[in-house]
Amino acid sequence: MPAGRTWHDRHLGILFVLPATLLLVAVLIFPAFITLKLSVTPEGGSGWTLTLIHYQKAFRDPVLLQTFKNTFAFVALSLVGHFVLGLALAIALNQALPGQTFFRLLALIPWTIPDVVAGIIFRWLLNPIHGALNPLVRMVFPGFPAEFQWLSSPTLAFPSVIFANVWRGYPLVMVMLLAGLMAIPRELYEAAEVDGAGRVRRFVHVTLPGLRMIILIALALDMVWEFRRFALVLTMTGGGPGTLTEVLSTLVYKSYFQFFTFEYASAMAILMSVVLFILSLPYIILVGRER
Amino acid sequence: MRQGMHWWRFVAIAGIAAAVLTVVAAPATAQVKIRFQTWHWNEKPWVNSLEEFQKTFNQANPGIEVVRDDSRYGDKEAVFTTQSQAKAAADIPHFSYRPIRHFADRGYLLDLSPFIEKEGGQKYLAQWDPQALEICKYKGKIYCLPDDLNPLVLMYNTQHFKEAGLDPAKPPATWDQFLDYGRKLTRAGRYGVGILGARQEGVFMRFNPWLWGAGGDYLTPDEKRSALDTPEALEGFKFYVELFTKHKVVPPGVIEQGAQEVRTQLAHEKVSMIITLPAAPGIVQAINPNMKVREVMALAPVPVGKKKVTSAWFSLRVISAFTKNPEAAWKVYKAWYDKDSQMRNFKIAGVLSSRLDVRNAPEVKADKYAQVFSAQTPYVKLEPLVPEWPKIGDAMLTAIQEGLTGVKTPEAALKGAHEATNRALGVQ
Repeated sequence: MPAGRTWHDRHLGILFVLPATLLLVAVLIFPAFITLKLSVTPEGGSGWTLTLIHYQKAFRDPVLLQTFKNTFAFVALSLVGHFVLGLALAIALNQALPGQTFFRLLALIPWTIPDVVAGIIFRWLLNPIHGALNPLVRMVFPGFPAEFQWLSSPTLAFPSVIFANVWRGYPLVMVMLLAGLMAIPRELYEAAEVDGAGRVRRFVHVTLPGLRMIILIALALDMVWEFRRFALVLTMTGGGPGTLTEVLSTLVYKSYFQFFTFEYASAMAILMSVVLFILSLPYIILVGRER
Repeated sequence: MRQGMHWWRFVAIAGIAAAVLTVVAAPATAQVKIRFQTWHWNEKPWVNSLEEFQKTFNQANPGIEVVRDDSRYGDKEAVFTTQSQAKAAADIPHFSYRPIRHFADRGYLLDLSPFIEKEGGQKYLAQWDPQALEICKYKGKIYCLPDDLNPLVLMYNTQHFKEAGLDPAKPPATWDQFLDYGRKLTRAGRYGVGILGARQEGVFMRFNPWLWGAGGDYLTPDEKRSALDTPEALEGFKFYVELFTKHKVVPPGVIEQGAQEVRTQLAHEKVSMIITLPAAPGIVQAINPNMKVREVMALAPVPVGKKKVTSAWFSLRVISAFTKNPEAAWKVYKAWYDKDSQMRNFKIAGVLSSRLDVRNAPEVKADKYAQVFSAQTPYVKLEPLVPEWPKIGDAMLTAIQEGLTGVKTPEAALKGAHEATNRALGVQ
């Protein structure tokens, strides 16, 4: 400890972080503890009689198993969409084009729209009778069915929700990748060009290595967020048709607020948190290494 | 100058006097705010009735102020649960009858028995439909008074009937006729029947008449096991889903259609017949102000299968166990349930009260729509009030969506609901 530091100096930092710490305890730690306790409380019970029955039930629940599969598919496909679209747009918006700032702002718009609103917009767009998509498709393909069903189709409902989610979420990845692209020194591209590298080789050997860390961080963060996606799915399909678009967050919500099985819903929420923690480990490790 | 000073003095004194008078003459500030929660605050025509009640009550009771507290139909239970867990629920929330016993078990609802005793006990309660009142009684306590017990009926567009060569005075009375009419009414850009398939509790009201009408049911009479494996249940289920999948008399996108969407389809003449509740004419009018609803729309009993039966919209209000002002809340509660308020609700929103004096009032009996609804009251059946109902209902919604979209055959979809129902009931 450096000489001359007073008690005041040593403890001043604690005072500064105290409000944020207390807030964190109030809004995160305490509810998490309550949820954990509820998950090991017998149904309708109280006090400190604890049980693991809800976890046993969860591991045998076919609906939960199916919902886990749906959620993994939803996250994986959303991530692919976000990355492909985000990278393509980031590269396009990194070019010195007229109106560059305007187009960058335009590309950010989906990120500013709340999930619920995006869900309602897509529900309307895809409505077979009043929606805007069918007439648009018919303008290009006149033989396309006038009342084509998107969200009511067992095969198209899930892709439709993922499409909406890709549109809603790509700007975050795009912004991060764009920042990464802007940080790659131009000299590296010039040197590669002098060495005879074409566009593809420059992309593979300069751009991608330059973005490696940012891609990992962006996808790790995006994965965590997509795993928790709730309002978009709820407003677009409510988990239907049947349970084809059910994801973990909507199932936990239903179990808690519609079935009133608070304890079982809490157990599912804890399991979801554990999976989420495991999925976020790469990000935590990466951030740790950076430090 | 001197005269000017007098003029300013006069203005100043007059101003002060006016201010003092305003303060003295102004009504005393309300001491207690009672949060009156419902999803109808943003819906016409109900909002007109609610605002009239709010205004009338607040004027007559300067010490209490009724304040609006909005909920959303789809998540009213979720909001109330969260608020109750935080001990901050609205003083007077509004629900359908389905979750009342769950909430009572969780300790979220105030026992109204002491207030009712003060009002005269059984004599006071005798003002309500006894069948409806039973729902409010649970484990020796009374948690609510019944509000609107409204049978569901068939609503149809008489103009469409004429265009299809059907007699508007002879609506379909049987399932066969209903299907036949549905086919005849289906033509370019228009469908004979509007049904619900969205994930919302409104589906049950419109689906139940078919399940029960075929002689099927959700549970066995002892409410211990699922009864969805009977041929009767399958017949009712198939009839409902095949209106869409086989007979094509229902518009596409059926699993996206909730109650309001279907009423909108009727209001904009996309469909010709729907199963609906007494407030529907007012809602349809609000959706399409250009339509002369009372001239164009007619009502009839739900077509009969093997059994004459219908379901009902049955809502009620409760007082939160966490209200800080139970006496004031009861005063507001009682005022909402008095004859004048309930009659006003009928006049404005077309809602049929569970109060017998309102239901039997000459102006209600003379109303052409109310007549049809009232006549169906003896045939009303409600869903089982078992604690597992939310899960059973969800399993049924899943089956309906699976059947409507062809994810499964009707047989397989209903089998899934049967198994899920038994799982929910703990049947091995």
